[in-house]
Amino acid sequence: MSADPRFVRSRPSRRTLSCALSLAGATAVVAISAGCGDQLGAGGGGATVVQVTERDFRISAPKRLPAGDVALRVHNNGPGSHELIVVRLPDRGLPFRADGLTINEDAVAKVEAGALEPAHAGAVRTLRLHLTPGRYVLLCNMYGHYLGGMHTTVVVS
Amino acid sequence: MASVTPAFRPFAARARGTTIAIVLTFALVSTASSAVSIWMTGRSKNRATVIQIASRQRMLAERYIGDVLLVRAGRQADPVGTGKALSQSAHALLDGGLAPAVNGDDDETTLPAESDPLVRGQLQQEMRLVNDLTRAGSAYLAGRPIAHLPETGSEKIQTNDPVQRLRVLAALTSNISLNAARTIATGADQDISDLILLQVGLGIGGLLLSLLLAWALIAATRRQTAHFRSLVTSSTDLVLVFGRGGCRYVSQSVISLLGRSESDLLGGGFVRYVHEDDREAVEAAQRDGRPQELVFRVLTVVGEWRDLEAHLTDLSGDRHVRGIVMNARDITERVRLEQELTRQAQRDNFGTQLVEALEMADEEDAAYDVVELAMVEVEASSPMELLLSDSSRAQLERAAASPTAGPPGCPVQSPFSCVAVRRGNPVVFETSRALNACPHLRGRPSGACSAACVPVTFMGRALGVLHATSPDGKPLSPEQVGQLTTLATQAGARIGTVRAFQKTQLQAATDGLTGLINRRTLETRVRELMGAHTPFALVLADLDRFKQLNDTHGHEAGDRALRLFSQVVHSIVRTEDIVARIGGEEFVIILPGLDEMQAVTVLERLRVALGTSHAGDHPAFTASFGVSDSSHGSTLEEILRVADQGLYVSKQTGRDRVTIGKLEPGVRNGHISNGNGDNRAVLQPEIASGGRPALHSASDEIEPRASGVEIR
Repeated sequence: MSADPRFVRSRPSRRTLSCALSLAGATAVVAISAGCGDQLGAGGGGATVVQVTERDFRISAPKRLPAGDVALRVHNNGPGSHELIVVRLPDRGLPFRADGLTINEDAVAKVEAGALEPAHAGAVRTLRLHLTPGRYVLLCNMYGHYLGGMHTTVVVS
Repeated sequence: MASVTPAFRPFAARARGTTIAIVLTFALVSTASSAVSIWMTGRSKNRATVIQIASRQRMLAERYIGDVLLVRAGRQADPVGTGKALSQSAHALLDGGLAPAVNGDDDETTLPAESDPLVRGQLQQEMRLVNDLTRAGSAYLAGRPIAHLPETGSEKIQTNDPVQRLRVLAALTSNISLNAARTIATGADQDISDLILLQVGLGIGGLLLSLLLAWALIAATRRQTAHFRSLVTSSTDLVLVFGRGGCRYVSQSVISLLGRSESDLLGGGFVRYVHEDDREAVEAAQRDGRPQELVFRVLTVVGEWRDLEAHLTDLSGDRHVRGIVMNARDITERVRLEQELTRQAQRDNFGTQLVEALEMADEEDAAYDVVELAMVEVEASSPMELLLSDSSRAQLERAAASPTAGPPGCPVQSPFSCVAVRRGNPVVFETSRALNACPHLRGRPSGACSAACVPVTFMGRALGVLHATSPDGKPLSPEQVGQLTTLATQAGARIGTVRAFQKTQLQAATDGLTGLINRRTLETRVRELMGAHTPFALVLADLDRFKQLNDTHGHEAGDRALRLFSQVVHSIVRTEDIVARIGGEEFVIILPGLDEMQAVTVLERLRVALGTSHAGDHPAFTASFGVSDSSHGSTLEEILRVADQGLYVSKQTGRDRVTIGKLEPGVRNGHISNGNGDNRAVLQPEIASGGRPALHSASDEIEPRASGVEIR
């Protein structure tokens, strides 16, 4: 496949960030060896396990989450591929890129709590987060998906 | 459960199952591999087209919104055609069918229905989004609001700006199309990976299974080979394989038997040790496989000849062997036994024939003939002789000699000077030049020689020696000496028997003192004459005053008188005449062909001769005679009775005379001859019938005549 920047998400910075976040949390011991939380096995390791479901074109998640270590069990029910980005909601909202369809991830990189790369339908993954109280947005930023309805707000307290 | 020991089956085709299993495994693996490849390839056949069409959907979605916006801007574009192509293609991708051609792009393509559930889900979503998109596009082009159009793809577009909504819909369509194309491509990749993995798995599995089976096959073959090797190596049978270049294989048994190394026997080595008489046959056999059966001799390392019986099998057509296989057995012992038996049989046969021939020889001369024939049988070229001692056992004389080679001419004189006779055993001299050779062998005209001397005995008594010679240094074989021993034993037995028999016969038939025949023999001879109807005269003679002679001068004188009388009688009578002594001093003389009167003439000559023989140291004596002839009766008794009557008259009338006997009742006369030579018939005194005294006593009681013979 050709590397069309609109469809192929190549964001090494995010992975590093995610690792850093995990390390900062210092709760997900296994996360280090398991490829920085990208493909962790089952088990929360003491963290709160939260079920998150993605489908065309909706994200279902609890409205409230406890602060601290949280393990999101992310199920993609398809039929399309979906990613998951967790961002602490800025006061002024999420900025779009110039295309007017996708969120400018670079602009929210500092408040991003964690992310999962796009995965096929049927994939179940765990995203380990250390959440501080506040409002977070779970979204899929694939082309048109955010505006198609794939985002939800979670309150961490 | 009792364990059953499996039978030892070196010839069982045990590896067949394994071989079949290996072949079947290969066939199965190959078939499975091919089938999987064909199936997978078939599945992947249209993947490229499907991926291309699926990817094209992205472009069509983008183009559609472009077309819509262009038309709204009053430009020329065909959003309806693009939307139709988008919709038809989505349908074709999902359920199969014709994907339409796109302007400036590719041709119509027929697609198969999608079967993968994940892809189908994505394509169905794509269909819904395409519908939403084209419906929104149409509404927008028609100037209708689009915000409230149904969102069949579960989208919840969060803007009411129609262009933005169209863009989101196009983006969603594009994205799901990309998703589907990618899933299809990944599936195809996965299929190929799976295929490769499956093929590798099949290959490795088949290989492992085949290796396992091959190992089993090798093990079975090795076991079988070991069985065969055990059979071949532990067998005493000799196995050799010949091919181009000579001997190619010799079994351990051959090496053991001959005591030679394998390298020594391979190639042309084996044939080198075959006996030269057999070599040609063995060479032909190892070349042509014929003759199939062969007996030959081969030399061992210790210089011993072994007899081998070989069977040849031509396996030069057999690609596993390519040679002629010789299976041989060592039959040396058997051959030796056979040869020994043959020799034994020959000797036995010789002995049997000899005994039979000698049995038929009833006289010594006939036995000698048999001995001569047997000599030729033993060895025709060897001079041989049979030297036998005479009755005195002091002198050896040649009794028989080889008719073909003549006598060797042993100068030995007496049995005692022959070493073989002295030892009582056969003696063989390899050469007469040896220091310990018999001295009788030296200095012969024929030069030095080998000799065999076998004593001839009978009942432990030496009869002589059987002597044979042969060229110097080449003595007769042990078998021939054995035959000579048989000959000497059997000939000795026969000759001894014949001699003993003759002696016994003579003793039985004759009187020991005078050598004259006795009464029994006389009776036989008379019966023969009567049987032949030969007329004869019979004379009964009796010495006068014999008792007185014995008493006066002793038995020696009496015996001398009897011997003298018989000698005188023999000097007078013819050879065909028969003289017998039938009692103490009584004699019978049979004169065939003569009558009484002719007999009287003979007797007169006898009387005169008796008278002249009185001279010397013999005491003088006379004899009385009674004459009869065969006309007087049909038995000796009857004729003798008549002669006895004559003798009685002679005695009565003064002795030393001849009287012809008469046995007619009442008339007793006789022809009397007295010492004075006057022959006259005298009247015999009357004799009472049955009152005649016995001859002996009668003669002894008669008084000597005055003119009688003077007895000293």
